[in-house]
Amino acid sequence: MTFATERYAARGDTLPFVVCVVLAIVARISPAELTEPIASGIRGSILAPFLFLQTYTEDLKSSRSRYFAVLVQRDSLAVRVGAQDALIEENIRLRELLDLRERISGEHVAASVLHQSLPTDGLTLVLSAGRNQGVRPLTPVITPAGLVGVVRSVDANASVAVIWAHPEFRASAMSLDGSVYGNVGSYDGGGPGSGLLELTGVPFRENILPGTRIYTSGHGGVYPRGIPIGEIVGVASERSGWERTYYVQPAVHPASISHVVVLLNPEAEVGSAFGEDLE
Amino acid sequence: MRLDQDKVRLVAVVLLLVLLHFGLGPWLGDRRVGPDFLVLALLIYAMRARPGKAAIAGFTVGLVGDSLTVLAFGSSALAHTMVGHLTAWGNAIFFAENLLVSAGFFFGGTWFRDLLMLVAGGFKSGVDLVWQLAFWSVIKGLTTALTGVAVLMIFRRWLNVRMAV
Repeated sequence: MTFATERYAARGDTLPFVVCVVLAIVARISPAELTEPIASGIRGSILAPFLFLQTYTEDLKSSRSRYFAVLVQRDSLAVRVGAQDALIEENIRLRELLDLRERISGEHVAASVLHQSLPTDGLTLVLSAGRNQGVRPLTPVITPAGLVGVVRSVDANASVAVIWAHPEFRASAMSLDGSVYGNVGSYDGGGPGSGLLELTGVPFRENILPGTRIYTSGHGGVYPRGIPIGEIVGVASERSGWERTYYVQPAVHPASISHVVVLLNPEAEVGSAFGEDLE
Repeated sequence: MRLDQDKVRLVAVVLLLVLLHFGLGPWLGDRRVGPDFLVLALLIYAMRARPGKAAIAGFTVGLVGDSLTVLAFGSSALAHTMVGHLTAWGNAIFFAENLLVSAGFFFGGTWFRDLLMLVAGGFKSGVDLVWQLAFWSVIKGLTTALTGVAVLMIFRRWLNVRMAV
């Protein structure tokens, strides 16, 4: 091996590197109000055809899945049906999504999830619906299983949602009977793949049993009342005589999401859409 | 004339990888473990470019990543700039036209990108950060390296790759 020092030693190579690093650091420390228009501009210009391609591919994948699912339904051989588990699951998810859309009374729009290969994919999601479809910042994102997160940034035909796994995620929560209220946020430090939420601020006298389902309470004006958040799995910590914190198993796992519904009217009643009779 | 032809071929391969990133990505299942075609395109370019141009390319790819994840804007640009620059610099030392060395660059570059991006963005910490880097990023690095080797083998004449390891 030979060290080709002359390739690196040139000032013309160091200067662009330093400028790029400085620009990146400036971008990193700049407030979101300054950087979000830049991100939106990139998504709406250079990235627009690529995101269109990805949307088209996602749709093609879904169409193909549905096509094969129909074939499978007509196929009487159980062995072949068993071999198409993934497609059947995809089909079931899409059917559930369609059913959910019919049950939701408020204004809403369906969107595909454009997964990215960056390590942040589990924290934010790019959705194939944007301003032209009526999506606005702070509109809730749900699936038939429950709450996914909230839209953070919106472009003409795409948007970026922050999902429950992000450290900044917060939602006011309650139990099904409305007897217990608290705040749900992502649980940091749960170890490998914990993927848990934590319910904080529960009065010490209230004891929530494992398996109890937790829903959005409607407080705060972002999430409508009655969207399933997850299920209590145990006590995380206690402040003696004051409050308890519980672990919550989220109702929706980010990696399994392929399609979502964006609620355009956060004040709409959605609890009945999930088949729950909230107190 | 030959140089221009090489440049055109390199740009064609890079563009193909960018298209694959958005067009093929949805078919690859869990994106945490699937190959990252964008970083692969950057690494293939950086291994054939001067460190300055590689840094600019990395910054550009990073901005694309930043615009797709609106949190911690700039962390992806910083990570990709560093990876692009260091790859070009490393290539000056190791001469990555060799297939095995290239595979090492693909793996190391992808893993290092994840490390820088997660640290700069503050997305994860503690055990979660270790788990991400020790498991998911390692698998992603391996799949990206395997895909990169396949790309180099397919386009070995265009990219002037030495097949001997």
